[in-house]
Amino acid sequence: MRHLRWLLVPLLVIPLGWLLFTGFGRDPREVASPLMGRPAPAWTLTSLDGETLSSEDLVGRPYVVNFWASYCIPACVDEHPVLAAAHEQYGDELEIVGVLYSDAPADAEGFLARYGDAGYPHLVDPDGRLAIEFGVTGPPESYFVDADGILRAKRFGPLTDALMADHLATILPSASR
Amino acid sequence: MKAWLPAVALGGLLAMLALVALLALEPRAAPTAAERVDEIARGLRCPDCAGLSVADSPTSSAQEIRRQIDDLVAGGATDAEVRDHFVARYGDWILLAPASPVVWVIPFAVVVAGAAGLGAWLIARRRGVAPSPPTTLSAEERRRLHEEAEALDA
Repeated sequence: MRHLRWLLVPLLVIPLGWLLFTGFGRDPREVASPLMGRPAPAWTLTSLDGETLSSEDLVGRPYVVNFWASYCIPACVDEHPVLAAAHEQYGDELEIVGVLYSDAPADAEGFLARYGDAGYPHLVDPDGRLAIEFGVTGPPESYFVDADGILRAKRFGPLTDALMADHLATILPSASR
Repeated sequence: MKAWLPAVALGGLLAMLALVALLALEPRAAPTAAERVDEIARGLRCPDCAGLSVADSPTSSAQEIRRQIDDLVAGGATDAEVRDHFVARYGDWILLAPASPVVWVIPFAVVVAGAAGLGAWLIARRRGVAPSPPTTLSAEERRRLHEEAEALDA
């Protein structure tokens, strides 16, 4: 009976250690999306340029939906060149659409004037309805949709070149890793 | 232990159970649509604030979610259907209270198991330290004890 008591120590310590070890490895604010592997939400919205765009227009082409805001500093500033570079590199086969998250169009235009406008469209999302459809919890967040319109990956937080390459590989056959 | 103590404890327990049953069975008016919207909003997490419900948050996404709850309830959706609408987008994360009934039972199970363990330990301990019968010394032992004591005194 007495030596059985020592068995309790590993029985308690090992699961607790495992919980802590796995827990520290992830951001508690990050939410696993139930939408992965499902059709991406459909939308028809107006861009900052006044153009009406729809997810229907993108059928057959992989695309990235990037939720951002001018007040999202430094995360959105940091990832801005990453998105511009991807647009430059894969422009022909990949669409990128920015979506303003709870931001005024004038402020977003100021951000683009200051940090550079790569040329892909930025959509105004009235009342944040599209953000709710995607389950966004705050900017920046990026969603990767394949040519069949299926949501394949999500990035919570700013994109880096490496993360962009990893996630693009899930929707774009030609994206090298 | 006083003899009347268990009777008083049992009486108190019965009175409490009767009170709970009375409260549970009390007829209540069906909630209005506005009350239902408010109740659902209090159970959903505001997506872009820290630890606030949709009912308590002023952000535009919380306002939009409240508006959508309003629409869904007006359209005849049940409370569970409204919650599922948001769980389908955000996952269980959006729910402020856990959906699984197991989670509610675990704390009570732990308390009961702990009390049972403590009780078993206390009973075992009481048995373990039961007073041992007084030992009697033989004449030989008595004589040696006497000798040793005198040797110490000397």
